[in-house]
Amino acid sequence: MPVPDPETLIHVPHTGNHTIFLEGPAGAGKTTLAVQRLRHLLSAGVPGENILVWVPQRTLAGPYYQALRTPDLPGGALVDVVTIGGLARRMVDLFWPLIAEQAGFDPTRPPTFLTLETAQYYMARVVEPALRSGAFDGVTIAPNRLVSQIIDNLNKAAVVGFPVDEIAQRLKEAWAGESSRLRIFDQAQACALRFRQTCLQHNLLDFSLQIEVFVHHLWPLPLCRYYLLGRYRHLIVDNVEEDVPVAHDLLWQWLPECDSALVVYDRDAGYRVFLGADPDGGYALRDACHQHVSLEDCLVASPDVQALAVETVRSSSAGLTLRPRDAPTESVKGNPRAALEFATWRYHPQMLDWVADEISRLVVHEGVPPGEIAVLAPFLGDALRFSLTEKLKRHGIPVRAHRPSRALREEPAVRCLLTLAAIAHPAWGRCPSRFDVAYALQQAIHELDLVRAQLLTDIVYHVQDGAPALRSFDPLIPEMQQRITYLLGGRYEELRRWLEAYAAQPPVELDHFFSRLFGEVLSQPGFGFHHNLEAGEAAAKLIESARKFRQTVGRTIPEVTGAEGEENSGGAGGNSGNLWGRLGQEYVDMVERGVLAAQYVPSWQISEEAVFLAPAYTFLTANRPVDIQFWINAGSQGWWRRINQPLTHPYVLSRSWPRNALWTESDEMEAQQTTLCRLVLGLLRRCRKRLYLGLSEIGEQGYEELHGPLPVAIQRVLRANPND
Amino acid sequence: MTKPPNHQTTKQLIPRLAQKEILSYAGGKMGVSAVPGSGKTHVLSALAARLVDEAIDDDQEVLIVTLVNSAVGNFASRIAIFLTRERGLLPRFGYRVRTLHGLAHDIVRERPGLVGLADDFQIVDEREARQILEDAVWAWLHTHPDALLDFLTADEFSEGMLRRIRDRDWPELAIEIAAAFIKRAKDLQLGPEYLLASLQEYPDDLPLARMGAEIYLDYQRGLAYRGGVDFDDLIRLALRALELDPDFCARLRHRWPYILEDEAQDSSQLQEEILRRLVGPDGNWVRVGDPNQAIYETFTTADPRFLREFLNQPDVKSITMPDSGRSQPSIIALANYLVDWTVNEHPSEIARNAFRQQHIQPTLPGDPQPNPPDNPAAVRLVARKFTPDAEIKAVVDSLARWLPEHPDSTVAVLVPRNKRGFEVTRALKAAGIDYVELLRSTTSTREVAGVLANVLRALADPGSSKKLAAAFRAWRRADRDDPELAERTANLAKLLSRCPRVEDYLWPRLDRDWLAHVGAGLAPDHVGAGLAPDHVGAGLAPAHVGAGLAPAHVGAGLAPDHAGAGLAPDQTGDREGSPLLAEFRDLMRRWQEAVVLPIDQLILTLAQDLFHEATDLALAHKLAVALRAASDDHPDWRLPELVEELATIARNQRRFLGFDEEDTGFDPDQHRGQVVVATMHKAKGLEWDRVYLMSVNNYDFPSALPHDNYIAEKWFVRDNLNLVEEALAQLNILTNGEAGNYTEGEATLRARHDYTAERLRLLYVGITRARKELIITWNTGRPKNPAQPAVPFIALHTWWEGKTG
Repeated sequence: MPVPDPETLIHVPHTGNHTIFLEGPAGAGKTTLAVQRLRHLLSAGVPGENILVWVPQRTLAGPYYQALRTPDLPGGALVDVVTIGGLARRMVDLFWPLIAEQAGFDPTRPPTFLTLETAQYYMARVVEPALRSGAFDGVTIAPNRLVSQIIDNLNKAAVVGFPVDEIAQRLKEAWAGESSRLRIFDQAQACALRFRQTCLQHNLLDFSLQIEVFVHHLWPLPLCRYYLLGRYRHLIVDNVEEDVPVAHDLLWQWLPECDSALVVYDRDAGYRVFLGADPDGGYALRDACHQHVSLEDCLVASPDVQALAVETVRSSSAGLTLRPRDAPTESVKGNPRAALEFATWRYHPQMLDWVADEISRLVVHEGVPPGEIAVLAPFLGDALRFSLTEKLKRHGIPVRAHRPSRALREEPAVRCLLTLAAIAHPAWGRCPSRFDVAYALQQAIHELDLVRAQLLTDIVYHVQDGAPALRSFDPLIPEMQQRITYLLGGRYEELRRWLEAYAAQPPVELDHFFSRLFGEVLSQPGFGFHHNLEAGEAAAKLIESARKFRQTVGRTIPEVTGAEGEENSGGAGGNSGNLWGRLGQEYVDMVERGVLAAQYVPSWQISEEAVFLAPAYTFLTANRPVDIQFWINAGSQGWWRRINQPLTHPYVLSRSWPRNALWTESDEMEAQQTTLCRLVLGLLRRCRKRLYLGLSEIGEQGYEELHGPLPVAIQRVLRANPND
Repeated sequence: MTKPPNHQTTKQLIPRLAQKEILSYAGGKMGVSAVPGSGKTHVLSALAARLVDEAIDDDQEVLIVTLVNSAVGNFASRIAIFLTRERGLLPRFGYRVRTLHGLAHDIVRERPGLVGLADDFQIVDEREARQILEDAVWAWLHTHPDALLDFLTADEFSEGMLRRIRDRDWPELAIEIAAAFIKRAKDLQLGPEYLLASLQEYPDDLPLARMGAEIYLDYQRGLAYRGGVDFDDLIRLALRALELDPDFCARLRHRWPYILEDEAQDSSQLQEEILRRLVGPDGNWVRVGDPNQAIYETFTTADPRFLREFLNQPDVKSITMPDSGRSQPSIIALANYLVDWTVNEHPSEIARNAFRQQHIQPTLPGDPQPNPPDNPAAVRLVARKFTPDAEIKAVVDSLARWLPEHPDSTVAVLVPRNKRGFEVTRALKAAGIDYVELLRSTTSTREVAGVLANVLRALADPGSSKKLAAAFRAWRRADRDDPELAERTANLAKLLSRCPRVEDYLWPRLDRDWLAHVGAGLAPDHVGAGLAPDHVGAGLAPAHVGAGLAPAHVGAGLAPDHAGAGLAPDQTGDREGSPLLAEFRDLMRRWQEAVVLPIDQLILTLAQDLFHEATDLALAHKLAVALRAASDDHPDWRLPELVEELATIARNQRRFLGFDEEDTGFDPDQHRGQVVVATMHKAKGLEWDRVYLMSVNNYDFPSALPHDNYIAEKWFVRDNLNLVEEALAQLNILTNGEAGNYTEGEATLRARHDYTAERLRLLYVGITRARKELIITWNTGRPKNPAQPAVPFIALHTWWEGKTG
């Protein structure tokens, strides 16, 4: 069949099983074509509800949402944009009564879908007793990471499609190190199975169960399949290389049944391997499509940047055989040196100063819009983010930093609310430190400085019978009242009375408590959150997090934790008061231990007006090209090395890994080289004009990090292209 | 891959014959025996640069392994000078300079999982390791209260003396024994479980080995509990990683196709083993050293014989570098005589092996690095009998006379021990003589951590005027170098420390601005008057005091700092200080508002205001990251705990920081007109125009003669036994599995000879640090047991008198 012109594939007929596999490098215009196809379908009268846009993760759905929001589309265009997880959850919810029992659940009760953080909560309840009994003593790892790796294993089993009780066996078969680790794999397996058992007992569905139930119980169900295939007649599948094997399995069966499909494959991507992505499986879908279209040119990067990309990849992949579709194919016409600036510094902060100075120069003297600059590092710790953000702010440069996993407890406003919650719930027996109370008062009361906050705390805060309490301002000696000032004392008194009045009543749900405290006191004039929008935002996130926690965990807490009270889904008073008390404590515990993280921090987006500061992979998945990229910490091993996760393994737990094969040094090296090539290519294909490379001899952690794989590759490029 | 040769790489070095031979090295194994000042670092750097330019690919490095951190920076910068092909390329590529510890860390960090470590494994430094060890030793002593009795001398001791031995001297010795035992066991790659099992099977009782092994077991548990490894583990694990995974080892071999080892005379067994594996059977290995300068043998497995044996291997090309342009001929003659006398005439036959009979040759005429002109008068061996204090006074007086006349010259006072060095620095300070201390760690880490800690303490206790004053002093620490500014800072800090209500300074209400009154030179009745006595200590009205208040809260209304005295009028008139106090107020306010930030962000905020030097900022950044990790591990920690952790972290991480001058390379020429005070060990590799060698007596430089005393032989231990050496001998017996070979006392005697030999080499190192002038003195030590001049000192003195008349 002749290869159609890219433009014509937008207009291919929408009846008769026209399936097209579109491949090409990043920046070739694939998603643009797919969006145009979507618009064409709608314009041609295809009902929106017959179209399914399928992406591997929600951040990649942006262009489709944007297109669907444009006013020129036909009204009522209700196109579904889903991930496999979203689709699974939707189907499980819809067909629950039909499959609950056969999937091992109680069909008389509704399912409870766990978010990542509530899954972590339940997993922590499984892992902690194991830790106390001496499990995992061969690995030095924080409990939170332990929990997340066991959850990760469950998810891998689900998305790759192997039985959950095979996790340890697969890991053990591939393990080539000290034999003491084998026992640890078994312990992790035992925790995974106990967690699964808890979920089945309480109708809890974490991500892995949602996928498994969907794949193993719903998809084979004729009713469900008829529903899906009948409803969604047109598929647009983007970034199929980033999707997981079971998604590819479904598509294999779905593609022959639909009226039309456009499957888009980004040739040099595959960044989500750590989350189970299977680029090979994605590429195999080519054989399930009738037509193949291949785009060859990257339309984003300048010839110089393209030359830099191609040559760097070639030098990084020395000794490595890249699969033909992973190797850059474009002919190099530019001069890689012209697209590259670099500087080496002794110390890390000197490098950051250079970055800030250069950005300032670009913005001020070259007129580059800040939004056209991205600063990327393999890892972006808080200290680095904060440091660079402050430096840029000092230059007057707006910056937007992506914080991948900032725990709620790190928000000062959240800590203030948690401290006040502890005081308002004396029955919890949680006694905040004097520092926490002073900081909370400093935050909560407008114009209260730290000195007076501490003075006030020293006088009014006390612990009585194991419970925290605040004394009234009124009986203080006048001298003290003067020092604190009557104005601030009055505000304190107002807050204290509110807390006291609250404590005198049966406790309400914690999210309601936060909501009331915020609305009735803290957001009012004279209080700290009144003018503080950031604090208000953090408070809103905390409230949302607490609400979701209550809605999920509240259903099971009496059974899981042994708390008194009956199951409850709302209301306060009586036994439910005990329940909310217990639930509130559990929640605060989890927040303070950092288990509850990230999910409720403002969802990031790239701003057009600000420099974007992010981990390299985040930038890739945001998929928005910029003119200028800064790669900092360029000497770091993080550009190619995966984080050592002792309890899991992204490659061994993948579908392509042969059973009983050992994971060796050369496998690791090959994986690292491939990672580096993909990363370099992906980033530079999203860079229009210039790359700045920042190196420091002594890295952020104080260790020398000059000789990483990225500078070695760049050095080869420089040597091959001498200065004139 | 071999690139075309580039003949310009050695342009800054006009090599001598032996140097030329070294520079023409193309591959294989080569051993170089080099005398002091022969330019081995220089030529090794040039060789490294040549190899970088000509012989390696971009993904490869020439690996240079040296002994101490101070040499790392020296090598790196010298190589950078020699490199010619960096133009337009990323700099500092193609080579890596490491100490053995640094190399071990690189290896382990690359594959921590291979040896059972997490990605973020911690390295426990000597200080913390020492604490763990002390805990283990004390625990052992409690369960073995009579262990000492086996070794106590038969002398009659008073009750008080016995108590002192039991409570202080014996535990200190036990710690020494355990430390040496554990270190040696790790060098031998033996775990405590293995040793304890071996002891079970051994037919005789080996009490010191048993003690060592039991403490070793407890010590390792202590380390594991902290999720850490000590420095000796790091080296052991690096070797283990290379053994475990041949592919990994092969990859490193590819990365480091040339290994150049400096100071190879101090190479330990493990170092040799690690490098041997990295080199491989047919690899390229250049080992350079001077067997006559081996000074790190005590308690380690380092041994100059490793280098000697290497030099004699048939597949090794052996070269000698005898020419030295460093010292003037008279100093060279003195050093050569020390070698000759030792080899031929030392009263202890065994000590005669201390040196390889290798003379330093002055350079030939026309040499590009000529010796300073001969000046016999500039070599003085002062035979006068000094008390320790008098010796210091004589040296300080001499310096006071010499320095003003030689402002552009370099000078060092070299001492055998740190303790003596501190005594010298105290005297120099008292005499107003500018000095640089090169004794223990240099201070930047401690200072940065100290400054941050002072400010954090003020933030943790914001009402304390004393802590506020300390934070002010930390902020103005640069003023201390200028007497006038230092006085002003001290006065202002004093003023601040008496500020009765900190809020009236930092966050004043309209009518209560303490600074406004201070600045106006007023002593207002309401500023500084403090509170009426009956109000001090009680924030609550009387009716509330005692009504349900916990004792801790009584008095909390006002910290004692608030009850300070009022300001004397003469302290308030400092109009120049007022802007400083205003500036400091702005800073403190900003910092107080930042106190709710996570600790890493708080520290970075402070650092921006407190530090300007790149090293300090880098260090602050690292401390921020490290404290953040600590805070994540201990969510209940608040500022006081984090301040404490700051101090611990600063100690822990120092070895790899690379932030101190010691780590970046100490250059004596940067300290002209100042006195450098260093131990003779730390002085290795350095040189000065004038050198004082102090304390050359028979206590610090014994000669294995009957009247000598040995620091390792404790006065309360019977038969002058050196229990540390006896313990190591028992460990060796256990390792070799030869029953019945242990004879008490043999190890002690052997240790005397070894120590004698090492101290002779140390004296040789000291002498050869001097370029133009050398002054050697001795002292009598403690009056109770007066020391004599060291025998080699007498020999040198006699010879020198005879030679110069």
